Amino acid sequence: MTSSFLDREHTVAPPGFNRFMVPPAALAVHLSIGQAYAFSTFNLPLTKLIGITHSAPGDWDLKQVGWIFSIAIVFLGSSAAVFGRWVERVGPRQSMFTAALCFGGGFLVSAVGIHLHQLWIIYLGYGVLGGCGLGIGYISPVSTLIKWFPDRPGMATGMAIMGFGGGALIAAPLSVMLMAHFKTAASTGVLETFVTMGVIYFMFMMIGVYAVRVPAADWKPAGWTAPAQPKQLVTTANVAVDMAWRTPQFWLLWVVLCMNVSAGIGVIGQASPMIQEIFTGRVTPAVAASFVGLISLFNMAGRIFWASTSDYIGRRNTYMIFFALGIVLYASVPTLGHLGSIPLFVAAFCVILSMYGGGFATIPAYLRDMFGTYQVGAIHGRLLTAWSVAGVLGPVLVNYIRQYQIDNGVPKAQAYSVTMYIMCALLLIGFLCNFAMRPVDEKYHYRGSV
Amino acid sequence: MNGKLIVLWILVGIPLVWGVMKTLENAIKLFQ
Repeated sequence: MTSSFLDREHTVAPPGFNRFMVPPAALAVHLSIGQAYAFSTFNLPLTKLIGITHSAPGDWDLKQVGWIFSIAIVFLGSSAAVFGRWVERVGPRQSMFTAALCFGGGFLVSAVGIHLHQLWIIYLGYGVLGGCGLGIGYISPVSTLIKWFPDRPGMATGMAIMGFGGGALIAAPLSVMLMAHFKTAASTGVLETFVTMGVIYFMFMMIGVYAVRVPAADWKPAGWTAPAQPKQLVTTANVAVDMAWRTPQFWLLWVVLCMNVSAGIGVIGQASPMIQEIFTGRVTPAVAASFVGLISLFNMAGRIFWASTSDYIGRRNTYMIFFALGIVLYASVPTLGHLGSIPLFVAAFCVILSMYGGGFATIPAYLRDMFGTYQVGAIHGRLLTAWSVAGVLGPVLVNYIRQYQIDNGVPKAQAYSVTMYIMCALLLIGFLCNFAMRPVDEKYHYRGSV
Repeated sequence: MNGKLIVLWILVGIPLVWGVMKTLENAIKLFQ
């Protein structure tokens, strides 16, 4: 493979290229890196590497192993912010290839860590190297998709980001199957599973590397012309990444994303114990696991549904629905718990999680509406730091407040009520920031050639 | 071009559909 194959100039699509080739290329990357959401399937086996069937002296504990995922998410956000401009410059093929090397390589380095039983090598492998693969891979197709689909940017980016949600649905059963296949009396099968997954994901991401193309500079969809009278919150100008983060709009969107993600991510992490504790004696661990699977499915479906809907009703209105409907649903959860209605409880969380996924998938198109297409991928990368903050804020709020309630004598079944009302407050902050959104001042517009 | 397009969608579609089916299989337990 020569470097020229990866260069942006060599990925310009020839005339007649079908733009629907690009979403599956993006999906190949996002379906792979979405594995991160299912990393918890490795947590328990990683605590039994020496004892095989049980944790023996010298085995790592769950708290130590839990850091692998946390480091990966921190590096997802920071690498997306740091490498965003580089991704814009070198184009999607080179950045997808780099993401494939980092993500696949992260698994292989971690396999070495398992072989030597050195946890720091896994932190470095899956956490740092894999985390960089997550961040670069996540943003690499975004601006390309927006340029290919100026008429439907929400649908296009929603399709790719749907893959990130869908990746967990594939990775969870795949990991379990591979570990069962490789398990022997002397091995948990995790090492072999890491090597296999590293190779599989690298090859799968290479499908995206080969298939992705950027449109020619003067390309437009057949029969499409940019609207003569642009909508109020859809700019025809461009804002460079270094200027974008000085605008109030960037920080309003940062808070919008952070609040939406905090509310959802706190629930995802606690979904299984929450349903078991609210409906004590009626929901078994196996049924709770089904609940987690179902909300993951809605998390994925919401990404394409809400992002596509935003093309018709507008980005600001879409987030208004997320926040307003979210407040109503979170506020109704304690009542649904008291009523003992499992179907209504499940339905409420399915809608909530669809809006959590929808928030991720609609944000690139919102950024494009506010800042133009010029460096939207890099701006998106910087905005993803909101995800890193929310990844800590959401679970901490849910876990600590629940524990505080229980320590103060509140029954477990009722310990989530205050948490839900705090989630409503977070969503109210998001609602107000979204409501305050106005077009970017002309003084921030980029005057150079795009 | 259409052939390539179909192959590409199948390549990414099969694992995705498999993952969705596996999740739905488990989710049925919720309603049993």
